[in-house]
Amino acid sequence: MSAATAVLRRFKFSREVVLLGVLIVLMVVMSLLSPLFLTVGNLLNTSRFFVEVGLMALGMTLIIITGGIDLSVGSNLALVSVAVGFSYAAGLPLPLAIVFGLVVGLAAGLFNGLFITLLDLHPLVVTLGTFALFQGLAYGLSEAEAVSDFPAWFAYFGQAYFLNVVPGQLFIFIVAVAVVWLILARTSFGRYVYAIGSNEEAARFSGVPVRKVKLVLYSGIGLLVGMAAVIYTSRVYTARGDSGLGLELDVISAVVLGGASIYGGSGTIGGTVLGVLIIATLRNGLTLAGVPSTWIVFVLGVLLLVAVFLNEFFRRREE
Amino acid sequence: MSEVQAPTTSERGTDSTVLRRWMVRPEAPALVFLAVLVVAFSLSSNEFLSGSNLESIIVSVAVLGTIALAVNQVVLCGEIDISTGSMMGLCAVAAGAVATNTGGLILPLLAGVAVGALAGAVNGVLVTLGRIPSIIVTLGMLYALRGVILLVTGGTWITGIPDETRVLGTGSVVGIHYPVFVLLILFVVMEFVSRHSTWGRNVFAVGGNRRASRLAGLPIERVRFLAFVLVGVFVGIASVIYLGRAGSVQTNTGAGLELQVVAAVVIGGTSISGGRGSTLAALTGAVLIGVILNGLILLGVPSIWQDAVLGSLILLAVATDVLRRRLLGDKS
Repeated sequence: MSAATAVLRRFKFSREVVLLGVLIVLMVVMSLLSPLFLTVGNLLNTSRFFVEVGLMALGMTLIIITGGIDLSVGSNLALVSVAVGFSYAAGLPLPLAIVFGLVVGLAAGLFNGLFITLLDLHPLVVTLGTFALFQGLAYGLSEAEAVSDFPAWFAYFGQAYFLNVVPGQLFIFIVAVAVVWLILARTSFGRYVYAIGSNEEAARFSGVPVRKVKLVLYSGIGLLVGMAAVIYTSRVYTARGDSGLGLELDVISAVVLGGASIYGGSGTIGGTVLGVLIIATLRNGLTLAGVPSTWIVFVLGVLLLVAVFLNEFFRRREE
Repeated sequence: MSEVQAPTTSERGTDSTVLRRWMVRPEAPALVFLAVLVVAFSLSSNEFLSGSNLESIIVSVAVLGTIALAVNQVVLCGEIDISTGSMMGLCAVAAGAVATNTGGLILPLLAGVAVGALAGAVNGVLVTLGRIPSIIVTLGMLYALRGVILLVTGGTWITGIPDETRVLGTGSVVGIHYPVFVLLILFVVMEFVSRHSTWGRNVFAVGGNRRASRLAGLPIERVRFLAFVLVGVFVGIASVIYLGRAGSVQTNTGAGLELQVVAAVVIGGTSISGGRGSTLAALTGAVLIGVILNGLILLGVPSIWQDAVLGSLILLAVATDVLRRRLLGDKS
């Protein structure tokens, strides 16, 4: 009896189980709202949208676990998109343009990291600054114009199908999830990430290379943003300065929904993946049900607030 | 004007003491920067230093400056508010809707201020009672409030604002536009509140050391809650100035304003980590942004570069703040 309740309690408090339940309920609701929702084709197509958010959310999970945040991901995505499109338009071969884009993403992340670690500044204010800076550079450099005369093979990154049904970028995401999960759960670097988030000072005194870890994390999310940007640009087949506008809301919401505490110290890749799936289901389902996109942003904004509130509420109750 | 830390007493004579007192003022670098820019722009463009251009700069930053004066208090508390762009849009919708129905100035103003105060109170409750970090609360509210605007307006513009409502944006006395007066009056009020009211002093204490403030018995939740409500009230006032100047409300009214506001506060010299800063810093920052945007136009820089300039300014300001404190040996 007591063993049974203990099992039940553990079951009840497992966040992943709760999230899985939420996801299933959402899917049922969405399939009632629109008959188009629960088809294999649509579900697989949804991954076209969540892979970009998902890639960035993986990096954001680690950053939020350290108690940091990166508000500049959406702007960085625009910057990389413009870098790829306009360097190609300027005559650079497309493969090199893609590499250049990835380098730009990485460099933008490194810039955040250097600024944060060298000046001991809170990532919030630094990435708020680079949020505007990257966005402005993307607008300025593109002169608010678009490039879309890519060769046909560029569609491979964002529009290709494997076996005619599975979107190609799903594989990139699965590999990225596996790699980031391994790093976080199975390496000393991953332990450092949790240590910094639990108590940065204690971590420093224990010999954790706090600055190096942060530098790697912010550069890493820059690279993930770069990958997401290439997929995004390929999917919409256009490089524009306003790509990725507001995506930081999706990314941060997904991570927080997945159970990462905004105060640092806790969070899992599994939770984040579920968070990404829930947000993708919401977006796709509401879109199919004919809800205007601005309303979806409203729902996401409220969802973010509710998720953080519940996180901190339950965290305090457990303590 | 309002120095935050007691200037260290120096025995090296009056001159260096005065200089040092001046140097530790939060807004000092911004004021120097502002002076340099004004000289540079007036040398490179004849139009810049004309009285009408200077006044038009201040008019152009009246909305921004009004909001910055209040967000300054939030930042001094060690919090942040990035929801002001959407909040301004919502207040303008409320004020505009009332104006087109009833006319007059007082009722639309009250409507704007009430809606702003309500939105600010929601921010404040979520931050203090909900114990959610203010950046997350106000990020969520930035999007949620934009959604509310669409719900209320149904995506249509509000036009036909009567002239008597627009007076706060368009009217002038003795050749000086009302927005300048509103901004200056609010500045004087905030300067007084910040230096002489209990709440004003508590704001510095809570931002400087929250733990110590709690142990000293200060109502740290109420101090922060009131700061968020104040932002709402000032956003409400600013929305009527906006209404007067623009004459209509769109669904994207105020979009991106939140960045300019935060930029104004930190560029002016209020420390983003709280506890250090001044009311003059917020005003200086707002005017500085106005001068820079105006100067860019005079120099023929396309407006699409505005965001990049703003972002660089925020980064430059926070970096300067850190380096200056390191140079002055200030460990706070």
